[in-house]
Amino acid sequence: MNEEMYIQEKVGKRNPFRVPDGYFDNLTAQVMQNLPEQPKRRAKSVFMRPIFYAAASVCALLVAGAAWMWHPAADGTSADTVQAQAVVQPQQQEESGEYMDEAVDYMMLDNHEIYAYLAEN
Amino acid sequence: MDKRREFESIVREYSEQLYWQIRRIVLTHDDANDVLQNTFLKAWNGFDNFHGESKISTWLSRIAINESLDFLRRNKHLGSATSDDMSVANSLLADDYFDGNETEAMLQQAVAQLPDVQRTVFQLRYFEEMKYSDISQLLDTSEGALKASYHIAVKKITEFFKSRD
Repeated sequence: MNEEMYIQEKVGKRNPFRVPDGYFDNLTAQVMQNLPEQPKRRAKSVFMRPIFYAAASVCALLVAGAAWMWHPAADGTSADTVQAQAVVQPQQQEESGEYMDEAVDYMMLDNHEIYAYLAEN
Repeated sequence: MDKRREFESIVREYSEQLYWQIRRIVLTHDDANDVLQNTFLKAWNGFDNFHGESKISTWLSRIAINESLDFLRRNKHLGSATSDDMSVANSLLADDYFDGNETEAMLQQAVAQLPDVQRTVFQLRYFEEMKYSDISQLLDTSEGALKASYHIAVKKITEFFKSRD
């Protein structure tokens, strides 16, 4: 036999619980009487406050900035290498400056040149 | 409509239904009344945050069932039982607000021995004949898991009775 049917036949589904006379008649009034006038607002957790996220962002920026500033010394670069780099850098800057000038010249097409180019193609 | 009056009409509409859901879990009238008051207090405090994501009856039932199960956990000696005692059945038979016979008290004893989810699913399905889809929304559990829980609950209750026949 189906086990659910077994329970139904043995016990049935009648509600055997009772309540005091008139309980449901007064229930709404009783519930409303026990409620505060206004709902109690739950205090926001610190994690819900915008100031928490603002402070966390500032801290993250400071940590990232400090890590970036100290990075050359932290990666094992010696002071001599840093000096050597400082000597080499102006030459590199000159080379890269020339390259940039050429690139800028190359890119500096005025409007007439663009129109001419478009008309030709 | 004024918020408090709106809530009062909700209390009027759902309090009896919620009372019976709670009563079947906590078993005594006084405890059911206390849990019902707490349920509406929680609902009132959360009323501003209820934006109709679910039906209001589902929202209230969810609070009621959680409050009932919390109550049982806080008062482990009440409303729950081990397999070798008949304290729940004996208490019910001595309760003025229980007019069931011995077999009906035994059924409550058997249900009281079940784990929380099986117990709740059995009460909602067997007595209220609630659909699995509705129970699923109430307990936030898949229908498959609920069917398995109900099946296990029915099996355990059947074994409980057969072992005492």
